[in-house]
Amino acid sequence: MTQSSDIAVEVADLAKNYGPVRALNSVSFSIESGQYYALLGPSGGGKTTLLRLIGGFLRPSAGRVYLHGEDVSHLPPNRRPTSMVFQNYALFPHMNVERNVAYGLKLLKAPPGEIRDKVERMLAMVGLEGYNRRMPHELSGGQQQRVQLARSLVLERDILLLDEPLASLDAKLRKDMCLELKRIQEKVGITFIHVTHNQEEALTVADRIAIIADGELVEEGTARDIYETPQKRFTAEFIGDNNVLDGIVSDISDGRVTVDLGFASVEVPSHGLAAAKGNGVALSVRSELLRIVDGEPDASWQVMPATYVEAIYLGLTISHLVRLPDGTEIVARVISGEPSDEVFESGRDVTVGWPGDRARLHIA
Amino acid sequence: MYDDFANPWNIRLKWLYLLGVVFALLMPVFYTIYISFNQHGFGARIYEFTFDWYRVVLGDTLLVVSLKWTVYLALAAIALTIPMALLSAKFYKRTRRKVAFVALMLSPLFVPADIMGSSLLVFFKNLANGFVWLDEALGVYWFDGWFDLGFLTALIGQVIYVHPYAFIVILITMSRYRVQQTEAARACGATAWQAFWQVEFPQIRVGVFSSCAFVTILSFNEAVRTALLKGGFDTFSNVLVAQMLNIGMSGESYAMAGIMSIVSMLVIGSVIVFTLLRTERLERRARAMAEPVMSS
Repeated sequence: MTQSSDIAVEVADLAKNYGPVRALNSVSFSIESGQYYALLGPSGGGKTTLLRLIGGFLRPSAGRVYLHGEDVSHLPPNRRPTSMVFQNYALFPHMNVERNVAYGLKLLKAPPGEIRDKVERMLAMVGLEGYNRRMPHELSGGQQQRVQLARSLVLERDILLLDEPLASLDAKLRKDMCLELKRIQEKVGITFIHVTHNQEEALTVADRIAIIADGELVEEGTARDIYETPQKRFTAEFIGDNNVLDGIVSDISDGRVTVDLGFASVEVPSHGLAAAKGNGVALSVRSELLRIVDGEPDASWQVMPATYVEAIYLGLTISHLVRLPDGTEIVARVISGEPSDEVFESGRDVTVGWPGDRARLHIA
Repeated sequence: MYDDFANPWNIRLKWLYLLGVVFALLMPVFYTIYISFNQHGFGARIYEFTFDWYRVVLGDTLLVVSLKWTVYLALAAIALTIPMALLSAKFYKRTRRKVAFVALMLSPLFVPADIMGSSLLVFFKNLANGFVWLDEALGVYWFDGWFDLGFLTALIGQVIYVHPYAFIVILITMSRYRVQQTEAARACGATAWQAFWQVEFPQIRVGVFSSCAFVTILSFNEAVRTALLKGGFDTFSNVLVAQMLNIGMSGESYAMAGIMSIVSMLVIGSVIVFTLLRTERLERRARAMAEPVMSS
């Protein structure tokens, strides 16, 4: 275990069982102070369990939780330096906005003047000045989440846990609130841990992202690393719009691995992965890097024969669906209106490819 | 829920049916109250309004004492049952075996009153004998009189009877409560008790008070179990039943039945009026404060 004053949260071999079901399986990672950290993964993967273990709402079956180097595994939520924003239904419906925000301060027996000032300041920060007397049912979903945020931030704790805080909002509001959350986090400078199953949300707000699935920490890194250079096959399949192809290693030389896909051989940088000749591997190529090659491709490109299936117009982008000789369907995504958005006739033989170094090799 | 094309007569007929059912159910009660105010009692050709029967009842020491015992029993039953029902309802929300738990909680309702009463009677008799034996074995008198029939045994019988009702009433109110609010309170620094008292209780208060009202009414109405378990005192309904069995319905009996009916209806009526007024007050306040709600 590493304990540093810069580390706000550290979990070590944390596990949680519900009877015979293992919801979280020996997860370890740490989060630096002041980071916006996202726990991203599919529903039921264990990310909320992990957040609730950090917040003290669940008792770990194994492992420890350290907050600022102190072991808090045995402490209930009210004795941890954390506060939490819930998905919904968490405002106290019998209290108005002001009393909701002031609730924690009153528990701390803060002087009334100080409570008033802090509540006003916090409501201003979340853009709800003048809403003091409103009851929760008189607020929209977005406003309710802002009140929750104010109620948590007013306590001035340095770790804020957010459990799917935007999941119940519509798409437009979610996007606006993402930016708002990021702005507020930068302003207050505390550690945010944000659970979401929405990759766009995670990529928008997070400094670092941990992918959680099947109770395991699959991969952890910056938003850019996770998106552009996923290490694990699961990450490639979950994040972005990746085409994942299975093959067998046929050659390894100069840090490049040749993968036999059965109908074509392509080269992929090994990035230090221990691939062995004859082993089954996977490679992923993001759909925006895949192109339908018209004419002679550049020598550095990796290409494969395919059959054009159809084009799907998605507004900003067009997805070209092509079928590989083994029946796998993959997608090449281009910006609408660009020269490469040309639509072909269904059933036409085409060549698809990508710039040589842009595919990722996955051995797990 | 009616659609715009529903035949208005369907709606009127349904309301008429509902009122008819309520009227049929309450008719005997109102008739009893009506008779209780007649100077000449039941079956007389002449109706002369009077409070005399009520004066007789309230001037009868035996009845006043029985009324006092009934109130004591009701208050003690409230003091014991409501916290138990609250704990049961909270446990229900946490347990995964909800069906089994509800079946267990409601099981006293499925045992007929006389069976339950006589079973408890035998149980308490044996228990009391057991304590006498224990006293003798230890050569002391510490446990002398424990579980002899009396207020305690009547109270236990009463609690067993009213607990399922109180549990259901509280559970209904509690079902609308979101556990996230307790967690949010804990995340704000509240202890488990503070979260319950400051956040959860205000939202289930109506259910708790309704349960108190319900327990009071049931305490006034219960006769069989109490008769078997009470020992040396009488409750109001015990006296009423004994009178009816021994000397038939007198003007005094009608007044006693009238008192019980009026108390029950006043309690239930107050709960309903309070709830309606509260809802209306909240809605009025919400309307007064409502401004256009923006989307963000």
